[in-house]
Amino acid sequence: MPGNFIERRIRWSGILVGAGLIIQMLTLLWTHPLAFVAFLLIGCPLVGAGILLYLYSLAAHGEAIERATEHPLQTPR
Amino acid sequence: MDRTSLILIFFTAIVVVLAFLMSARAELTRARGGKILAFVALCVFPALAVWAGAQAQIERSTTTRFCLSCHVMHDFGQSLYVDDKSYIPAIHFQNNRVPRDHACFTCHTDYTMFGDYKAKWRGVHHVWVQYFGTVPKPADIKLYTPYNNRECLHCHAGARTYEEASHHLKDPNTLALVAANKLSCMSSDCHDIVHDVDTLKDATFWKPSK
Repeated sequence: MPGNFIERRIRWSGILVGAGLIIQMLTLLWTHPLAFVAFLLIGCPLVGAGILLYLYSLAAHGEAIERATEHPLQTPR
Repeated sequence: MDRTSLILIFFTAIVVVLAFLMSARAELTRARGGKILAFVALCVFPALAVWAGAQAQIERSTTTRFCLSCHVMHDFGQSLYVDDKSYIPAIHFQNNRVPRDHACFTCHTDYTMFGDYKAKWRGVHHVWVQYFGTVPKPADIKLYTPYNNRECLHCHAGARTYEEASHHLKDPNTLALVAANKLSCMSSDCHDIVHDVDTLKDATFWKPSK
């Protein structure tokens, strides 16, 4: 069961990171203040959120496994 | 497009593919190799790509082309080509006293620890005003704070042409007052013709050979 949760989070993390990096790539093709702002306010937060979600999924997964080992009947959140 | 940007775009494209691969095949993380791949694809490489992207964007935002890409800056760009030696920005630009590709940024960044970042933050504010605020007329654009001599002395301090210039030596206190920012280079009836965009319609312009 913990596997399903981590995989779902990893899916979302991949989507966020991928979307953020696509925006970053597009902004690199255009030398304009709007490109800079799009990179700063859209690209960076998306990639940052993706990385954080991935790290959170690792931490939550470890915690869920620990809990499942201690209380085998409890479903991890 | 320069080679660095191309390499960065290529690297970012690879990371995008890896990130979407991890998204589509999250079950790969059940194996040890998949876990390592996920860590690289969703943490290490994206962080590297963003860091490199930020460096590229910051570097790009220091270019003259970037600054002049907003319509309101057009006249300021024109003022760099005025055929009149009394125009300080023009004489710096035309004689390569500032790098032409980074002409605006060279003079309009504070040479302090966070000067670059302060300039970028102001730039973000300018973009906001450009699209959501009231854009002033070019002649009404003023500096946030009086121009600090520090920005001039960043290059001129210690230069022989600066220290031995006859008008700088007329009064023995001049150089000390300039260094202390008590006597402004630009607003003490000395070098006081700067961009002066409201007089451009009467100006003649220098045409570079290429």
